[in-house]
Amino acid sequence: MAIQIKNVTYTYPKTDVGVFDVNMTIKDGEILAVIGSSGSGKTTLLKLIAGILMPRKGVILLDGKDVTPLPAKDRQLGIVFQSYALFPHMTAWQNISYPLKVRKVPITERRRLAEEALERVGLKGFADRHPLTLSGGQQQRIALARALIFQPKALLLDEPLSALDAGLRGEMRDEIQRLQREYHIATMHITHDQEEALSMADRIAVMESGKVIQLAPPQELYDFPVTCSVARFVGKSNLWEGVVRSHKSVKVPFGELKTAPHSYPVGNNVGVLVRPERVRIGAHPDNTNTVRGVVKRDRFMGSVRLFDIVIGKSVIMGETGIRDSIDAVHIPPDSIQLIGD
Amino acid sequence: MLTHNIFLGILLASRYNFFILPLIIYFLSRQIGIMYIVTGIYLFYLFMPLILLLIGSFGSVWMNSLLPSGLTFQWYLDLWEDVSFRNAFMVSMKVVLATCVLSTFLSLPLAYALHKGTSKGVKIAGRVAFLLPIAVPPVVLAFGFILVFSSNALPWLGSIWLLIAGHVILTLPYLLNTLVSDMRHLRLDELELAAECLGASFFERFMDIIVPLVRHSLASGLIMVAALSIGEFQLSNLVSGFLSRNYPVVLLQAFYGATGFACAATVVLLSLAIVAAFSGALTARSTSRYRRK
Repeated sequence: MAIQIKNVTYTYPKTDVGVFDVNMTIKDGEILAVIGSSGSGKTTLLKLIAGILMPRKGVILLDGKDVTPLPAKDRQLGIVFQSYALFPHMTAWQNISYPLKVRKVPITERRRLAEEALERVGLKGFADRHPLTLSGGQQQRIALARALIFQPKALLLDEPLSALDAGLRGEMRDEIQRLQREYHIATMHITHDQEEALSMADRIAVMESGKVIQLAPPQELYDFPVTCSVARFVGKSNLWEGVVRSHKSVKVPFGELKTAPHSYPVGNNVGVLVRPERVRIGAHPDNTNTVRGVVKRDRFMGSVRLFDIVIGKSVIMGETGIRDSIDAVHIPPDSIQLIGD
Repeated sequence: MLTHNIFLGILLASRYNFFILPLIIYFLSRQIGIMYIVTGIYLFYLFMPLILLLIGSFGSVWMNSLLPSGLTFQWYLDLWEDVSFRNAFMVSMKVVLATCVLSTFLSLPLAYALHKGTSKGVKIAGRVAFLLPIAVPPVVLAFGFILVFSSNALPWLGSIWLLIAGHVILTLPYLLNTLVSDMRHLRLDELELAAECLGASFFERFMDIIVPLVRHSLASGLIMVAALSIGEFQLSNLVSGFLSRNYPVVLLQAFYGATGFACAATVVLLSLAIVAAFSGALTARSTSRYRRK
């Protein structure tokens, strides 16, 4: 079942903070990640969908039905909170089956379904444990099982991995993805971790100051960010201020770079984006876009090597698998992307 | 050696306490540490009267001597056979039970409302209102009761229900305070929100999440209520009728009779209070289980 958000606006009382004119659709079985720095409005958006906040303008549709006036308890959404919000006085199975309890499912059936759900999240035998006796990852699995057990119309994840350590985070990432596919459910995943979003989501919405700046599949977002802030937020980037010189070149602080043909008018200010992995080691045979500078930092990370080359006041970050010494780098023209203001 | 020193110190101090006590404390503290001394003095003042009461209740004669002479169980038998004491004991039990039940039903929604109150003004007003009975002496409250309920319109002075109402008013603030401060530590808002999103109605949330989570503080609060109600004298003395006198009120009469009898009657009250206090301490200890670390 799909979630549709149409022209939703909300401002917190007595402030001008909130979300503004948000439009998006999360399709059945799709994971849509919403990323943005703190205060960008991503949690507000989740609260609006959940029914915890009521939009001032716009509508929210669940499976084509307008649920805007419905309170949270009637929206049938599975939500996993950042802190999991497990009930400390209930055991694991009681926690998982609580949504069934309020739906008046008989206790034997509840227990059976909870045991089944526990098995699905890999926690067989943990039914009678209290949440506080479980690890963070186990609590997370219980919270997920609880959010999914009543066949919700959609799944909302509010920074579900932020409380876990790095190793467990990767594991839970796969786990969430696996369960989401298994249940084939529309999922909104709020996170401030762009790597998490890139690796898990089918599409990503980038939010800034309460507005959705770009909504695109991960590769598109990475390759063609529409603003400099999206470029900066998603992945590592070399981003310079530039002035368009011709339809095939741009001036940057350390010289002039040839670009693929573009349509920006001459003299325009643009952002010039080059992803570190597109920077090539060594000079180009024709010296095209070749830059000579001093290698300032050179970090060997195993499969990749990260280096910074300093030219005057500018820095070019690069990423390569080659271990040779570096005295020059070049940037292929088609690796340069111009971003208008 | 330690107790001996403390004993000596206190004996001397009682006579020359202005000059000697600081000196004794100074010398002792160099020997064994100030913490032990303070604790020792405190425990002495706390337990000495209780021990003397206990000894007195088993002694047959006690007149103008440090300790009584002879051993007897007579005072307890006398107490058991005294109808007015047995009646008062039953009244006390009824009042305690009714006070606990009424306080529970009143305090849970009240505490929740105080916890949830969004407006700051309402919260402050609520707190002042529920702390007033602690600030106002019970005697004042009792006079108010006498004025209002001895009138022809509301002639309820002397009924057991008025006594219970008085006890509820006096003890409710303590219970509310316990509950409200516990609610603050339990992350209730977050858990309630989760329950709401999972489909629970307000009533379900209240019964399934809030009440079970505060059950330990409710239990320890109720034991405090019971302990206060068992020992309540000021208000009870003024508003109880002849047939609805509770134990402490009747106990006062015992002091005009034989010392041993008075001691035995007090020991009974004391044991009740101690039972309440111990169960309170035990419940309070188990409360910590559900706290976030």
